[in-house]
Amino acid sequence: MARANVDLLQGTLDVLILRTLAGGPMHGWGIAQRIQQVSEDVLRVNQGSLYPALHRLEDEGWIAAEWGASENNRKAKYYRLTRRGQRQLEAETENWHRLAAAVARILQTA
Amino acid sequence: MSSFLDRMRRTARALRSRHRREQEMDDELRLHLDLETEANARRGMPAEEARRAALLRFGGLEQSKEACRESWPGRLLTDLGQDVRYGLHGLRRSPGFTAAVAVTLGLGIGANTAVFSLVNAVLLKPLPYARGEQLVILRQPDARSAAADLGFSVQEVRDYREMSRRFDSVVEYHSMDFTLLGGGDARRVRTGVVSSNFFDVLEVKPLLGRAFNAADEAPGADAVLVLSNDYWRTLGGDPGIVGRRFEMNDRVHTVVGVLPPIPQYPDENDVYMPSTACPFRNRPDVLASRRARMLRAFARVAPGVTLAQAQAEVDGISQRLRAAYPDALPRDSEARVALSPLKEDLVRQARPTFLVLLATVALVLLIACANVANLTLARLVERSRELAIRAALGAGRVRLLRQLLTESTIVALAGGALGLLLAYATRDLLTAFAARLTPRAGEIEIDGRVLLFTLATSVVTGVLAGTLPGLPGREKIAATLLGDGGRTTGDRRRQRMRAGLVAWQLALSFVLLIGAALMLRSFENLRRVDAGFRGDQVLTARLNLNFSAYSNAEHRIDVERVNSFYRALDDQLRGLPGVVAIGAAWTFPLNSSFQNDGTFTIEGRAASTGGPAPKATFVGVSPAYFEALGVPVLRGRAFDERDKVGGPGAVLVNERLARRHWPDADPIGRRITTDGGRTWRTIAGVVGDVRQESLDREPQDAVYLPFREFPGYGAILFVRTLGAPGQIAKQIRAAARTADPQTAVTGLRTLGDIRSEALSSPRLTSMLLGLFATVALVITAAGLGGLIAYSVSRRTHEIGIRMALGADRSRITAMVLREGMTSVGIGLGIGMAGTLALSRLVSGLLFRVGPNDPICFAASAIVLVLAAVAGCVVPARRATTVSPMTALRAEV
Repeated sequence: MARANVDLLQGTLDVLILRTLAGGPMHGWGIAQRIQQVSEDVLRVNQGSLYPALHRLEDEGWIAAEWGASENNRKAKYYRLTRRGQRQLEAETENWHRLAAAVARILQTA
Repeated sequence: MSSFLDRMRRTARALRSRHRREQEMDDELRLHLDLETEANARRGMPAEEARRAALLRFGGLEQSKEACRESWPGRLLTDLGQDVRYGLHGLRRSPGFTAAVAVTLGLGIGANTAVFSLVNAVLLKPLPYARGEQLVILRQPDARSAAADLGFSVQEVRDYREMSRRFDSVVEYHSMDFTLLGGGDARRVRTGVVSSNFFDVLEVKPLLGRAFNAADEAPGADAVLVLSNDYWRTLGGDPGIVGRRFEMNDRVHTVVGVLPPIPQYPDENDVYMPSTACPFRNRPDVLASRRARMLRAFARVAPGVTLAQAQAEVDGISQRLRAAYPDALPRDSEARVALSPLKEDLVRQARPTFLVLLATVALVLLIACANVANLTLARLVERSRELAIRAALGAGRVRLLRQLLTESTIVALAGGALGLLLAYATRDLLTAFAARLTPRAGEIEIDGRVLLFTLATSVVTGVLAGTLPGLPGREKIAATLLGDGGRTTGDRRRQRMRAGLVAWQLALSFVLLIGAALMLRSFENLRRVDAGFRGDQVLTARLNLNFSAYSNAEHRIDVERVNSFYRALDDQLRGLPGVVAIGAAWTFPLNSSFQNDGTFTIEGRAASTGGPAPKATFVGVSPAYFEALGVPVLRGRAFDERDKVGGPGAVLVNERLARRHWPDADPIGRRITTDGGRTWRTIAGVVGDVRQESLDREPQDAVYLPFREFPGYGAILFVRTLGAPGQIAKQIRAAARTADPQTAVTGLRTLGDIRSEALSSPRLTSMLLGLFATVALVITAAGLGGLIAYSVSRRTHEIGIRMALGADRSRITAMVLREGMTSVGIGLGIGMAGTLALSRLVSGLLFRVGPNDPICFAASAIVLVLAAVAGCVVPARRATTVSPMTALRAEV
């Protein structure tokens, strides 16, 4: 791994998943790829913890799953954002911005 | 709410579709790995390499699956099911361990269940009377004597009833023996004489028929009876008994009702009658006198009124009555009537004993728990491999811990079931025990609350025993997997913990031993008390004359007729072979319910002293009473033929009274009066002290009056025999019947029986404590033995080396014992400190032994050390049989 990648903060994975699914339904592998891609390889999802997170979010009712066919026509489990998930994402996003802004302020002044 | 229901529905669905879910998860993860593998292949990896890289990138597949399952709905339930299955499986694999734990816990939980069933029925449950917390007893305490209650006169009860606003009602009660005629032998019936609304105030609904009503208490009403449940059963339990007629006190009494099986208070009566039916209470002089205090008073506090408010009002009434009738009470006694809740009164005697028992069994259970924790610890070492494998398969630490907890809880529940059986088997014994302490004993049962207690105790015990050992650390689990299952630092820590547990067990056992020793010693002291009589060959019987046949026109006892009955009885019995002496008296010794204290004045000392008048217990006895009981006449004479109505007016006093009032002089010939000098009686003799009240109370000052001058309708007969006294029982019945067929004869037993009955409650208490202490000791010794055995097995190598270097067997034995004795020493120290802090809690139950009795402490310490040595002997012997060669070769 040429580029330094960052360990995800606790809980951050959830919001990343929700944000990724806001773009449309996706299966697990797709989500992992997408996060890595969009973050330009900075964030590499620990795949072992991706699925437990998906199952947890499903249990919370923020995402829903249904089975469909994948790109090369294999049976795949597609996750999509629910309305409650949408609200959760908005709340989490705002939280994140606040946190990031606060950290940034401290880093600038201190 | 709807989200809760929704969740429930999802859980149910999830449980049903668990298998499908597993399948789907596998599919999902497989697809992920396939896609990752393909992506790798596209980047130019060879197929093999691409697959391996995908797996590596993913990380622990099984752990990930396990983490997924965590978030499935119904997870807890399915896990529990799995834990239980695993647990049962694991327990089946080691039946010895399982049985040992279940039995240990069963003993502990059983003891707790049994004692809790006592505590529950007697101390916790509300009274079986409706709104029982509002019921109070009124007491007129006697400041001069220990007597708690002087009683109330008929007029006073009426005054309190009419003057109080804060009571719903005030009812009167007294109990007398009457003779019931009608079918077969004359029967003595203990009769509660009560206000007509007595049962309404208690809110007791009769099982059959009705309770009394106001009409029953009206003058000239027909005589009616309500039967107690027990007495109804002894009459045959006829459901159609209402309406049956009995003759009693020369009147026909009709049964109108039967009570439900509830504890009766204050006495276990056979039958009840309305207050106006009692010939004594309604004697004109009794009705007129405010000093004729034969009644007890109960009341129900009005709703919303506190005890303090009711007491304040009663205080006011007492003051007013005192002012209006200054002669109603003895001049030096306090006028304050005290209210006390009925419930407290019912359990006053039982509470301290029960609480000590409860504390004892709780300690036993703690000890059992420590033992189980120790066994679990030992087993954990054997199981570390199994645990390691499960950890590798993705079971989290929490999951593993829960698994262990499930196991220990399953065993504890089995122990609880065993304990329930134990409690169920011993409940009759316990009821009999409790009956000596409280009228509520009949309520003892294994009800829902007891079951809940047992369940809760089992679960808590299981959790405690399962958590104490803890889980091996992460490194330890890893180390086990890597094949290094041997010693690690965690292991040593665990061994220290086991030693600590055993030391605590020893400490608790020591506390229990001391408690039992104190109780035993106290019981032994009580057993050795000289009650003042020699009773092995004395048969006693209670005789009750049909009082209507022995009363004169004014409803007063006809002394001549009673005396002629006793003369006839005497003639019958005197001729019998083996009969040595025949005595009669108002009461039998050690009779706690006999109270006849009074004051007297000594001639020539009345005015000078100014202090309270001397008091004594007054007992009427026949001439041969002292001979029959084996009580020595120390000076002067006993009563004889001269002492009758119109005789010299003699009294006897006991030694204690003589010493108190004539320390340096001869009391014979001195005169005393009980009626302010109207009549004087001369002391004719001094007799030995007899404990008339109870074994554990010092004999009171006593004045004996001639029975022939002051006979009673009821009396106790004492017959001293040469042979076995039991043989004379039948003759006594026959003789009484010949003298008068309407005489009721009850309570045939020897003085020895009376004495051992007085001992039975403390005997059982000390036996129970002894039993519990023994159980605790055995469990503890086994625990210590297990600890030492484990330690020896770990040190086989070291022992081998020592022996190879020339240590002989006694040295090795000493080394092993020393390890055991270190725990014992610590245990003794902690236990000693604990006992010194706790022992005064039992001091109220002790008789002539201090709570810190050094002999008990020493004896308990010796027993503890002996038991500990016994526990260590087996492993110590095993240590000495270690062959040095084998030990050295053993790969450790």
